[in-house]
Amino acid sequence: MIDFQQKYTIVANKKVAGTLYQLSLDAPTLVRKVLPGQFMHIRVNDGLKPFLRRPFSIYRALKTVDILYDIVGAGTRMLSEKKKGERVDCLGPLGTPFTLPPKNVKQVVLIAGGVGVAPFLALTDILKKKNYKLILLYGARSKAQIFPMKDFKENGCQVHVATDDGSIGAKGWVSVLFPKIKRDMSTYLYTCGPRPMLACVQAFAKEKHLEGQASLEEVMACGVGACLGCSTKTTHGYKTVCHDGPVFDLSDIIF
Amino acid sequence: MINLAVKIGNIQFKNPVTIASGTFGYVKPYTKASDLKKLGAFVPKTITLKKRVGNPLPRIVETASGMINAIGIENEGLDYFLQNKLSSLESLGIPLIVSISASSNDEFMILAKALDAKASVSAIELNLSCPNLANKKLIAQDAAATAELVRQIRGAVTKPLIAKLSPNVTDISEIALAAQDAGADAVSLVNTFMAMAVDIQRRKPVLGNITGGLSGPAIKPIALKMVYDVKRRVQIPILAMGGIMSAEDALEFLITGATMVAIGTASFINPKAPLEILEGIKKYMKAHKMSDIHKLIGSLKI
Ligand SMILES: Cc1cc2nc3c(=O)[nH]c(=O)nc-3n(C[C@H](O)[C@H](O)[C@H](O)COP(=O)(O)OP(=O)(O)OC[C@H]3O[C@@H](n4cnc5c(N)ncnc54)[C@H](O)[C@@H]3O)c2cc1C
Ligand SMILES: Cc1cc2nc3c(=O)[nH]c(=O)nc-3n(C[C@H](O)[C@H](O)[C@H](O)COP(=O)(O)O)c2cc1C
Ligand code: FES
Repeated sequence: MIDFQQKYTIVANKKVAGTLYQLSLDAPTLVRKVLPGQFMHIRVNDGLKPFLRRPFSIYRALKTVDILYDIVGAGTRMLSEKKKGERVDCLGPLGTPFTLPPKNVKQVVLIAGGVGVAPFLALTDILKKKNYKLILLYGARSKAQIFPMKDFKENGCQVHVATDDGSIGAKGWVSVLFPKIKRDMSTYLYTCGPRPMLACVQAFAKEKHLEGQASLEEVMACGVGACLGCSTKTTHGYKTVCHDGPVFDLSDIIF
Repeated sequence: MINLAVKIGNIQFKNPVTIASGTFGYVKPYTKASDLKKLGAFVPKTITLKKRVGNPLPRIVETASGMINAIGIENEGLDYFLQNKLSSLESLGIPLIVSISASSNDEFMILAKALDAKASVSAIELNLSCPNLANKKLIAQDAAATAELVRQIRGAVTKPLIAKLSPNVTDISEIALAAQDAGADAVSLVNTFMAMAVDIQRRKPVLGNITGGLSGPAIKPIALKMVYDVKRRVQIPILAMGGIMSAEDALEFLITGATMVAIGTASFINPKAPLEILEGIKKYMKAHKMSDIHKLIGSLKI
């Protein structure tokens, strides 16, 4: 049978802050397979509602495979109602992962908007072994949406936060944190979040002559590159977010 | 032993379950799916003569029990298909039904002849019904145009021809009849139903193409009725599709008169659907002590 489709048992499914939840799946074989930047395509209900699967980045894959998700609609709400011990039907790991920064890089800056922070914990699990200076710039709606950054800090990340309403950290978009990036050493960017934010990061990178990678989101059906439904515009033409991405070279994306 | 073999033209398929064009790509994403070999046939995504970049974004939207797509037949064109895709499709080892589309009869002809020359192509599906090509009218919305195209291609190729019809017509059986009389070996139905969705916050169409085609279980009962209508008027085999999610759905189509069934949107939700449906059909036949699929096909009691 098609081996990337499996049912995994939920070990935990808990609120971490505001409308953010963390789902942990018992998936020992998967833990060893997944790479940072890849995603799981989850069937949140066995019935017809919602109809399509929902894609979620892999937040961490240590003992369990974890997803960090925000409740934004019916599908994510249903996912949040799932209990420990229930099984969920997943396709994955899917997509093209992040690649490591080029050789000369000394400092890595992760720029995340909202739940776009999700793929970065798994990434820092790898990057921390390489002696980079790690900085996370994290923008969220408000204090209520900020979850403990302990895991990022333990991975050696210097964390800076901005909120839309200024309820914690700097006030405004994550872009208000760009001045935190000291460019006294060769720097590389990774970014994930809403498209307008990514466009902003791309413009910043261009201005400062920085390179990086971005993880994109697009509505998906198959999740495996078969339907061409999740295409995005790049300098190399339309590319599928699910198969050619979700990770793209930051400068290749056309906003 | 259960006999599941069915025929279209002179081609035998070991069972009636296949893939709906455009829903399994060119198999590559699923290469681990060696069990695909168990299917009766494989139908790759429609190809055109020249590369097509496809429609503007976004291209899909989820709807109640279905989805609307406006992919616009994004594909690399005939030459690329022959050079880069055909060999991996051949390695599946099951009959290939290659779907083609074009903006003119001449282009259809070039495509059909090129595929007719390939030993590994079992049959050619003429996609007369893609709603996403910005043509004023689909070929499959006009009985005379359908007949004309099928007749021309029929005169030039030897492989079985399957005319893929649109449900966006007043009477699909008329178009099916025209295809049959012009020499089609089978008809496949249905392609997607023209549809749209509106983003009420932005007061804009959700899809970049404004409109698209509805697929999935939402269309199944209507597709089934269309198979029923066509079966009453034509003798050539029907390759049926439209919202088939389970073996029960597939059985409804077979009983109504479909010779083969194609699984489309269901694979997005469950990539194992085509194989599970095949197993489910076998199980049903065993339970009903049927040894030949032909006892099932068209067995609807009226
Ligand atoms: C590669 C990838 C990784 C993602 N990783 C995460 C993650 O780690 N955590 C997280 O919370 N969310 C993530 N998302 C977004 C997540 O898929 C959506 O929030 C979710 O599908 C919303 O479903 P819903 O039913 O709650 O919302 P609805 O708005 O009701 O969904 C309606 C339709 O739109 C789609 N949709 C809505 N928002 C998005 C979106 N942002 N991206 C893609 N499709 C969307 C849904 O899948 C569904 O088809 C990711 C998306 C992609 C493409
Ligand atoms: C994303 C998508 C792409 C499709 N692409 C094609 C195509 O290239 N050629 C074609 O003949 N039909 C195409 N179809 C139509 C399907 O083959 C099928 O006729 C239709 O979806 C109804 O079946 P279903 O409800 O089981 O999906 C496509 C359907 C979908 C959902
Ligand atoms: S979701 Fe089907 S190609 Fe990406």
